[in-house]
Amino acid sequence: MSFAISTLEQGLVYGIMALGVYISFKIINFADLTVEGSFTLGAAVTAKLITSGVNPIFSIIVSFLAGGLAGLVTGFLNTKLKITELLAGILTMTALYSINLRIMGKSNIPMLNNKSILDYFSFAGNYRNILFFGLIMIFLVLLTNYFLQTRTGFALRATGNNQQMVRSMGINTNTTITLGLIISNAYIALAGSLVSQYQGFADAGMGIGTLVAGLASVIIGEVLFRERNILWAVISAVVGSIVYRGAIAVALTIGFNPTDLKLLTAILVVIALSLPGLKKIVISSN
Amino acid sequence: MLKLKNVSKSFYKNTPNENQVFKDLNFEVEDGDFVTIVGSNGAGKSTLLNLIAGVYPVDSGSIMIDDVDVTSYPEFKRSKFIGRVFQNPLLGTAPSMTIDENLSIAYSKGAGLSLKMGLNKKNRDLFKEKLAELGLGLENRMKTKVGLLSGGQRQALTLLMATFAKPNLLLLDEHTAALDPRTANIINEITNKIISENNLTTLMVTHNLEHALEYGNRIIMMHQGRIVLDLKDEKKNLTVQKLLKMFNEVNGSDFVDDRVMLA
Ligand SMILES: Nc1ncnc2c1ncn2[C@@H]1O[C@H](COP(=O)(O)OP(=O)(O)OP(=O)(O)O)[C@@H](O)[C@H]1O
Ligand SMILES: [Mg+2]
Repeated sequence: MSFAISTLEQGLVYGIMALGVYISFKIINFADLTVEGSFTLGAAVTAKLITSGVNPIFSIIVSFLAGGLAGLVTGFLNTKLKITELLAGILTMTALYSINLRIMGKSNIPMLNNKSILDYFSFAGNYRNILFFGLIMIFLVLLTNYFLQTRTGFALRATGNNQQMVRSMGINTNTTITLGLIISNAYIALAGSLVSQYQGFADAGMGIGTLVAGLASVIIGEVLFRERNILWAVISAVVGSIVYRGAIAVALTIGFNPTDLKLLTAILVVIALSLPGLKKIVISSN
Repeated sequence: MLKLKNVSKSFYKNTPNENQVFKDLNFEVEDGDFVTIVGSNGAGKSTLLNLIAGVYPVDSGSIMIDDVDVTSYPEFKRSKFIGRVFQNPLLGTAPSMTIDENLSIAYSKGAGLSLKMGLNKKNRDLFKEKLAELGLGLENRMKTKVGLLSGGQRQALTLLMATFAKPNLLLLDEHTAALDPRTANIINEITNKIISENNLTTLMVTHNLEHALEYGNRIIMMHQGRIVLDLKDEKKNLTVQKLLKMFNEVNGSDFVDDRVMLA
């Protein structure tokens, strides 16, 4: 039972990151590598603020905005300075590594003794984390779904499909790409903030492997839900994240080492991308 | 309404591969003109349309649309004036979005990005009505992803989207060339209907000389970056044979076009 609970908790909280990855990789079709930096950024900002006595809710909001700023930087590098998308993301991610250490002042900040957002939900006992992560996930899924049905959401989705068409419809694709990156990285930093409160510490290396994990979640979601409208596409990224965490938990119980997990995840993504049928699904849908 | 003044354009400028397509090109189009454009391969027809649409900048010269100097406008900003349909049916629509979602983007063209819902009862009713006018049955498939449509259906949809906001200028670059002849005819008829109903100023590039003569009120023929023939009033009485003969006379060489269709 506790196995199921912790899998669900992790699936939900990392599902927020999967939503962010879904927005950059699938909605605007931008292979954004900023992820690992902005995830840690969210954690670093939160840890610093919370251990300085700042209210957790306010810390989360600042983390969210900081992530958006990271996305803005990548967007600027790509759309204004014309740096390729992969390199733009790598540059921001690398720069963030130093910035995150600056923010934290050391490579690891424990915050078990500080009040976290989760403490507001202590009344739910063992279900404290699930309750909070579940609520925030429902809110984010609805918000994302709503946003993607607005005119701006349509413009972002079309940008991922056909930039020529978007420009001939009078929309600046630089704006839509940058906006997509801002939202994506804000979500990812939010995930980093909540993960740090959930595990009780922030670490400069905690972002490593998050991108591939997020991608694995998105791909699993796509395989599980084929024909889908936008709401289901958004939900599938979250379900993909839960299934992925379940698979990880199973791998651990059958004797794999925690340090093997990144290799396993990478292999999983490679297999998914190399199966021709899957590749088609993964590439053609958003 | 459209005025190109001394427009020059080279590709790969200042390299050994420099290719000057236009040198001091002057070209004017009047309000309501439907100009068909024919010409040999590499004459610069697509480049002309791309320069007008702002896909790439001119090296020198100016472009005015309705007395607005748009020379320095990026492509997305010129789209305010311009509707476009490309040869490639894939370029005009977003394949993973549904028909009504695509139409919504065209419907809110020029309105800027907002958090208004993209679809509502009112605009969906309008889309249904407009789709029905195409006569292809698309009005019953508004929730179908555009990627599942045939090339002809996508091209018809693109045409509808390009003209939804009544552009000052409609640019068509061989927009039926990728279609089978029967579908091409259907799309041509739809095109002609939309243009005449809305009295749209139009530039249409085609390789079909018959169509070039049948549609529009003015025809220009291009060769190596120059406009070698420009006929308006005489157009009505032209035949393909006469047209080719005139080309030969002004140019001293035969009209060469590997894709030209005479029948
Ligand atoms: N984006 C580009 N980069 C480099 N050269 C180009 C580009 N676009 C066009 N050209 C060159 O400009 C010249 C004119 O090409 P353009 O495509 O305008 O001809 P066209 O009249 O449309 O021919 P076609 O009938 O084959 O479509 C050609 O020599 C072509 O190679
Ligand atoms: Mg051409």
